[in-house]
Amino acid sequence: MASSADAMGAVPSGAVSPGTTLPEDRIQRHAGVDRLFHWLTAASVITLMATALLPILGVRFDWTPIHWVTGLVLTALVVFHLLRSMAWRKLRSIWFSAGELRGTNVGKYSVAQKLMHHAMTLMVLSAVVTGLLMLKKIKTPLMTRDPYVFGFDTWGVIYVIHGLAALAAVTLVIIHVYFALIPENRMYLRAMIRGWITRQDQRARLAENAWLDKKTP
Amino acid sequence: MEIFRVGHDAWGRQVLEGVSWDLLPLAAGVGLLVIVGHAIYRLIRRKPGE
Repeated sequence: MASSADAMGAVPSGAVSPGTTLPEDRIQRHAGVDRLFHWLTAASVITLMATALLPILGVRFDWTPIHWVTGLVLTALVVFHLLRSMAWRKLRSIWFSAGELRGTNVGKYSVAQKLMHHAMTLMVLSAVVTGLLMLKKIKTPLMTRDPYVFGFDTWGVIYVIHGLAALAAVTLVIIHVYFALIPENRMYLRAMIRGWITRQDQRARLAENAWLDKKTP
Repeated sequence: MEIFRVGHDAWGRQVLEGVSWDLLPLAAGVGLLVIVGHAIYRLIRRKPGE
């Protein structure tokens, strides 16, 4: 719903861009750079899953170049996110507080959202680290191919971890997309697209938190 | 259902090749199970008139 400020044309509706003042009834939740990071990561993960899993399901194409190049894009995104998180944010804020675990305190992210973040982190880091090692097995312009850098057993473990990450990606992407699309979470989806949530959404969240507070001894 | 893919090296010894792709439907199934579980939870938790 457009605010009165929108209706007057004082503030353009839609995405939050640098230097844009939000209408009074909106709160910025995600900066543009974070939204760009999220959607580029999503596109990379979907491309990696498609190029890895479609050949297994019988769709034949030259998937290797697309897969490793996208893998490097994902690696760059992960490095960017890690540096940004460590330099500009408090790493502690992504962990669970005692109040959150008791259900008496809700910060920017809920316990469920943090759990999803940590599961995705574990999956992506496992895939990226093992994927980078696996580059030694294929011909790329980046490095000399050397499949003998590790023994059979070590390669086996690397492939198992990479495969487990791929299987975890299937489960996590299904769950993530479902929770992004359900009506009660629509505000978070909008925030990840446009950057803001309404104060009304924020109040509703706090009211729910107050309800949880009463239920907790 | 196999959990791992196993091959043989030049000397005929068994070597680990990765996880079995038979687990792919299981991975998707776990995701779908969470969706069904949450949908049931939403139905039960729904207040009258919602």
